[in-house]
Amino acid sequence: MKMRHYLTMAASVAVLAASWTAPAAADENKLEELKEQGFARIAIANEPPFTAVGADGKVSGAAPDVAREIFKRLGVEDVAASISEYGAMIPGLQAGRHDAITAGLFMKPERCAAVAYSEPILCDAEAFALKKGNPLGLTSYKDIADNPDATIGAPGGGTEEKLALEAGVPRDRVIVVPDGQSGIKMLQDGRIDVYSLPVLSINDLLAKAQDPNLEVVAPVIGAPVYCDGAAFKKGDESLRDAFDVELAKMKESGEFAKIIEPYGFSAAAAMSTSREKLCAPQ
Amino acid sequence: MEWDWDFVWQIMPTLLQGFKITILATILGAAVALVIGLVFAVLRMTAPRPIARVTGFIVEFIRGTPLLVQLYFLFFVLPDIGIRLPALVAGVIGLGIHYGTYISEVYRGGIENVPRGQWEAAKATNLTTRQAWIHVILPQAIPPMIPALANYIIAMFKETPLLSAITVLELMNQAKSIANSNYRYIEPMTLVGVFFLVISLISVFFLRKLEARYSRVDER
Repeated sequence: MKMRHYLTMAASVAVLAASWTAPAAADENKLEELKEQGFARIAIANEPPFTAVGADGKVSGAAPDVAREIFKRLGVEDVAASISEYGAMIPGLQAGRHDAITAGLFMKPERCAAVAYSEPILCDAEAFALKKGNPLGLTSYKDIADNPDATIGAPGGGTEEKLALEAGVPRDRVIVVPDGQSGIKMLQDGRIDVYSLPVLSINDLLAKAQDPNLEVVAPVIGAPVYCDGAAFKKGDESLRDAFDVELAKMKESGEFAKIIEPYGFSAAAAMSTSREKLCAPQ
Repeated sequence: MEWDWDFVWQIMPTLLQGFKITILATILGAAVALVIGLVFAVLRMTAPRPIARVTGFIVEFIRGTPLLVQLYFLFFVLPDIGIRLPALVAGVIGLGIHYGTYISEVYRGGIENVPRGQWEAAKATNLTTRQAWIHVILPQAIPPMIPALANYIIAMFKETPLLSAITVLELMNQAKSIANSNYRYIEPMTLVGVFFLVISLISVFFLRKLEARYSRVDER
């Protein structure tokens, strides 16, 4: 009796192990796999208007809306979104926790080297939220680096954190802020002097905060306009290419603009550039 | 994904920087906890009844709520009433108060374990309350507490990664920020584990020694 119990257990462990290793071998059939499964797992942040999760748990925002539509056209019924920190998205994708990242993760050469991006989807410049009147006179990441008292808050692993570090702001003055609400709170409390996010995100946050003591500097001087794309795992290029085909069709037909423009994004900006340009090392 | 030693050496200085903050937070947190714990214990045992009741309630309240929630409260809510603590200070206070409540129970247990007869004997030999505490009660109460206190401090040390949630740049946060820009978790997270393990093992070694030394107190 006992022996049989152990055997059953060993067998189920073996089955589990087999089902674990199976997906790794099936990269070419990724799309088929997703169709069969009926949904694609996407990584999002919670940073309106790029990505948003409503109080009822409904996922919206420009990036998931575009992804949902394209996956539907590819025959994948739905998307299942999980909220992740920006910094954890690419490792999560590589570890197979997500099928795609659709979160406003801007294309930068080092990210292009780590994942397979689609063509550009959402473009935006960078912005600062700061105390009214800009008491420290900060208009660029370089200004923050040059002022030994200035501290900047940014999402961990986000583009803004990297831009600040690249501009020479020392690590201890770049505060990793967990989410938009705490960023605004830390700014109001004087814990940070600047909170940096893309323009549309900052505008959205400040519109919700309704705080007359805060203002926006946009665009940040010296920071170019960045665009995101849906990011796929290296090796899933065939899925990425299929995604690109549908994306191009939607851009052509104007449906793309119809989805993203209500959120404030410019379709023309995304269409005027390409992955090749954005991924090229500066 | 394989292990990359070059990457390990490259990130080591950053991790060590974070580790310094972890150690600092532990030492300061332990100091706060030891003092706060004593205050709670003494208030609960000797203060007039209403105060003892209130202290008891506060201790139970803090013990019954998660440390992470308390840290968020200290960091994000207190500024609303005009108290803006730097991140590390908020973290040390959070750790100190939380573990102070556990430690107060250790003190209480240790003090209550001193037989009543010792109090009566101290009274009978005309010692003042102060003298009775310092010369009779505490010297007998403290040694058995030491292993339990050390245990709580080691436990607190292992809770310091929670401070990363309130933007303290300690070991865990540094490791996360390394992972964020290199897309690799395996080396930074393994090293975080190793750092904690090394210190814990050393602490356990000394803890054993303390236990060995102070468990003999009765035989002396």
